[in-house]
Amino acid sequence: MQSTELRQGINDSIPIVLGYLPLGFAFGVLACEAGMSTIQATAMSILCFTGAGQFITLGLMQAGGAIITIIVANILVNLRYILFSTSLVPYLKRRVPTFTGSLLCYGLTDETYAVSMNRYQDHPPTALYIAGLNLSSHLGWILSTFLGAVLGAYITNPDRLGLNFTLPAMFVCLLVFMIRRRADILVALSAALICLLVGYFVPSTMGNLFNIIIATIIAASLGMVINE
Amino acid sequence: MNSSSIWFIIISVSIVSILPRILPVAVLSRFDFPAQLKKWLSFVAPAVLGSLTALYILAPEGYIDLSINNNFIWSFIPTLLVAVKTRSLLYSLLVGMATMALLYNFF
Repeated sequence: MQSTELRQGINDSIPIVLGYLPLGFAFGVLACEAGMSTIQATAMSILCFTGAGQFITLGLMQAGGAIITIIVANILVNLRYILFSTSLVPYLKRRVPTFTGSLLCYGLTDETYAVSMNRYQDHPPTALYIAGLNLSSHLGWILSTFLGAVLGAYITNPDRLGLNFTLPAMFVCLLVFMIRRRADILVALSAALICLLVGYFVPSTMGNLFNIIIATIIAASLGMVINE
Repeated sequence: MNSSSIWFIIISVSIVSILPRILPVAVLSRFDFPAQLKKWLSFVAPAVLGSLTALYILAPEGYIDLSINNNFIWSFIPTLLVAVKTRSLLYSLLVGMATMALLYNFF
């Protein structure tokens, strides 16, 4: 029973790992171009598991940005996880010990969040499931970063294999699975629209992903009104 | 940029990326959320997924691209159909990736 949970978590991480391969690889390549050593690039993927934040860091390093700018940009780009993590609380509470649960949440990403929320719609969360999902996704991220940093120049375009569509396809699918109530469709569609509109009118939010936070807050509130 | 500055950046970025992930679960699990808040939070996942899907499909390079040259839009259509029809992550992934690979290599 217990090991099934772990195995299920690992299984569910497979599409995530596939999607991370080209991204982590690209991060490894670019990190070296930006002046990091292989050890530093890999260490960064070990110590933080924040795709967007890591790419922003490289971009700012190459643009000669101040260290404080890099840190502030990362605070902004990671703020959405306060919302993600808070929305997990009602599920994890009394099912997963708080200490273990919060530690495992270091592995919260857009992708692990989407997969686990889907799972919790019909299965109670367990620490082993979260460990299987988050740790193996993180391991995929670390390994692909390492490979990118080491092999960088030798591998040609992974887009040829359609790998760049793995994560988008996963999100489409999880979105379809996640919709249970009529209000969910309206919430998802309005969030999509608001997110793009905010990104269009305030282009900086496309970089720091603040548009996701704004869209989520407005769309979730809309859901409350529709569902009254 | 010298090596110790890079290490300083790596460590600071790690701290600011980990805290917003673990603190809410660590701190807020002590409280009982009111029913209204729980309901609001139950809409967070659909909203986040809607936003992320829109960004991935319609702004794959970081800017909004609604042109017919955006292969992500073309790959999205069969993926969505397969996801709705089969409710299988595997089939949807395969169809999406195959469509993308075909478009990339032949168009």
